[in-house]
Amino acid sequence: MRGCGSGTRALRLPLLLLSLAAMCLSEDALSGPTTTTQSTSQQTQNILNNTPTEHNVSTPGQAITTQGVHQETRESFSENTSGGHDRSTDGPRYTTQQTNLTWMAYNISIPGFSSPLIEKNITLDSPANIELSCTVASVSTHAVAIEKTWKKDTKTIESNVTSNETKNVWSTQYKLQIREKKDMGSYMCVMKGEQEVQAVFHLKVPKIKGKEKPIVSYEGDSVVMVCESGNYIPITWIWYTINGSHQVPINDSLMPEKYIIDKTPANKTHLKIMKLTGQDGGLYVCQAVFKLGENNGEVNLKVLNYMVPLKPFFAIAAEVIVLVALIFLYEIYSKKKEMLAEGEKEFEQIEQLKSEESNGVENSSTRHRKV
Amino acid sequence: MSPPLTSDLAYVPPDGGWGWAVVFGASITVGFSYSFPKAFTIYFKELQAVYKVSYSQIAWITSIMCATTYGGGPISSILVNRFGSRPVVIFGGLLCGIGMVSASFCTSIMQLYICVGLISGFGLALNLQPSVIIIGKYFLKRRPLANGLAMAGSPVMLCTLAPLNQFLFDNFGWRGSFLILGAILLNCCVAGALFRPIGPATGPIQKEANKEGKETAKEEEEDKDCCAKFNQYLDCSLFKHRGFLIYLVGNVLMFLGFFAPIVFLAPYAKHIGIDEYSAAFLLSILAIVDMFARPATGLIANSKWVRPKIQYFFSFSIAFNGACHLLCPLASDYTGLIIYSVFFGLAFGMVCAMLFETLMDLVGATRFTSAVGLVTIAECCTILLGPPIGGTLIDTFGDYKYMFIKCGAVMVLAGTFLFIMNYYNYRMLAKEEKAMATKDPEHGRTVNEGSNDWDREKIQDGQELEPLTDEQGLKKEINGLSEA
Repeated sequence: MRGCGSGTRALRLPLLLLSLAAMCLSEDALSGPTTTTQSTSQQTQNILNNTPTEHNVSTPGQAITTQGVHQETRESFSENTSGGHDRSTDGPRYTTQQTNLTWMAYNISIPGFSSPLIEKNITLDSPANIELSCTVASVSTHAVAIEKTWKKDTKTIESNVTSNETKNVWSTQYKLQIREKKDMGSYMCVMKGEQEVQAVFHLKVPKIKGKEKPIVSYEGDSVVMVCESGNYIPITWIWYTINGSHQVPINDSLMPEKYIIDKTPANKTHLKIMKLTGQDGGLYVCQAVFKLGENNGEVNLKVLNYMVPLKPFFAIAAEVIVLVALIFLYEIYSKKKEMLAEGEKEFEQIEQLKSEESNGVENSSTRHRKV
Repeated sequence: MSPPLTSDLAYVPPDGGWGWAVVFGASITVGFSYSFPKAFTIYFKELQAVYKVSYSQIAWITSIMCATTYGGGPISSILVNRFGSRPVVIFGGLLCGIGMVSASFCTSIMQLYICVGLISGFGLALNLQPSVIIIGKYFLKRRPLANGLAMAGSPVMLCTLAPLNQFLFDNFGWRGSFLILGAILLNCCVAGALFRPIGPATGPIQKEANKEGKETAKEEEEDKDCCAKFNQYLDCSLFKHRGFLIYLVGNVLMFLGFFAPIVFLAPYAKHIGIDEYSAAFLLSILAIVDMFARPATGLIANSKWVRPKIQYFFSFSIAFNGACHLLCPLASDYTGLIIYSVFFGLAFGMVCAMLFETLMDLVGATRFTSAVGLVTIAECCTILLGPPIGGTLIDTFGDYKYMFIKCGAVMVLAGTFLFIMNYYNYRMLAKEEKAMATKDPEHGRTVNEGSNDWDREKIQDGQELEPLTDEQGLKKEINGLSEA
């Protein structure tokens, strides 16, 4: 079904949405609220595979700025649950500019009682309505009172006991409205009957991609450092330089000839540092500020002296000169040997001729004597 | 006393001895010329970020480099005809080094185009052609093997340069890397130093004859007009040479589809869902198979069954290459692509190993100097057009298979064309040989002495020798004197 056909569908819709995003962003970036849509078809695929490993599926959605446009988001649903999806757009009204937010559902399907703890990462960059559900299939119980608990971080937030479960399926849902930073965190569902099952949803702000390997540059040169937030658009970016253990923000308006911070496109930030000195080396932190929190990326800068690459350069150049000289010397040496050998050959030939002549003279003299 | 005339060179090539040192040097220079532009692409991302330009603007650097390397062919040929291989290669190595060192101080993309693209590219041109030329001067009987070994330098150098570039970039940044690469390119001078000049044997009689020859040459030079003088350095009469024309047309057609599949192999793999590292691994497989295919092809081409009909072998390998590309769209998973890479590497190596050998076989070692320059400048256009046309096909249809079909079709066509035309050429040559034998019995004897088919080179050149210079005639005179 949906999950199986995710291949081509996954191509078309994101492309459409991205082009929408491009149009909107070009007019008025970052002014309106952002709605992230999550492509969870991949998540359902993973669930279907029933791998009891940590689902690190923070699949990137598409970030779209809306300006009073009702957004049709792509909902997900698992193959197992039959109901419990609220696809209507009856979210609560807000006093902010936000429009009606649709609900996004995330499900964890727990394969069995003895499986290890299943975790799911959900990436959010802006306020959203979330419905979390946990399902255990193939439960062979008869009607037994099941205690269902939802916990945030470690505190219990909801707990009720139900009975008369639909046969062979235990499930529980919890609706959340994520509006600010404190709404983020880890939400755990616990279902306890004769045995207990648990699953955890981690709600996190998007990861920031900096650079793992250090950037190398030279004194007097300029360098550009880039951080990316992928498909999410933060409200703003802040760059810090690490001074000892302090984070010192970089203000490019104070020192415009040294630092230039470029914030377009919105999901990337460029920090250009000019006239580098040795002290400019070290760790730089780019922070993306979202409505629901912040996240950091790191870029390491190494500033080298010009002498550093000159040493290998001279070493290799010296090796080249030595080799060329050796080759030429060998050539001269072998040519001399050849000429000597030729000279010896000629000398031998002349000797031979001389000896023949002298033999001839002797013969003639002997003949003369005989006569 | 007289050297047996089995080729149009006025001496017997050593076919070994110092020749192997020359082959080693040639493999270094050929390796740098072909693999340096490819290995350079590692710096693109960083340069894009620093100079804030698009990918296509950065890609112009290597395009200009390739264009200059191939377009500088005729100039290279003229210089080799005038000065010999050694000084030209040493000067080329210096140019490459200077180009890269100045590139490390560049502050704009235009300066990079000039330093890396033009200067280093021209330096590589001055490296490539003379290396191939001097192999023809040192080898005759084992020439295909020598060519195969020299061309094997390209994949070996690519496998070395690519990780080396990455290492340099991680430790020294792009400016430091360019500086050190300049020093590494200076090693072409070492290779050039190995290219000891070789010519007609210099005994005492020959020395005098040379002196006399030089004097008469000087007298005659004043009488010549500039056209004939130009011909001395770049033999344009080659355009009347049947074999040369066949080779030119066939190769120009072939290069239209030669390089595009390599450029798009990794993107195609990623397109069908393979991860980045496995896609890069495909190219490594290609390079490794290529590395072994080239000397092996040289060995096969040298055998007594293949050498007389080496043109057929060349056409077959081109068609085989084309067939691989035509079958590629059938490979829909990683295993299929691995099989494709193996066969592609094999075919690619076969074609590259014989690329210059077949030209030498057709025109002879002395005229090869000019021939290689003219051929490379003609191929320059199609080499540059190939990948962009492939890219346009991919963008228009959104599917890679049309690019593969186009490349495969073009190469199969080129292979078939070469096969048919060379069949015709061999027949015409056999007819001419018979005609020469009946016309001039004495000449025919020296021809029939060697049962080697590459005696044909001499007859072929003998017929078209007249529009050439008097130097060739003088060489014959010298030989005549030595025979006496």
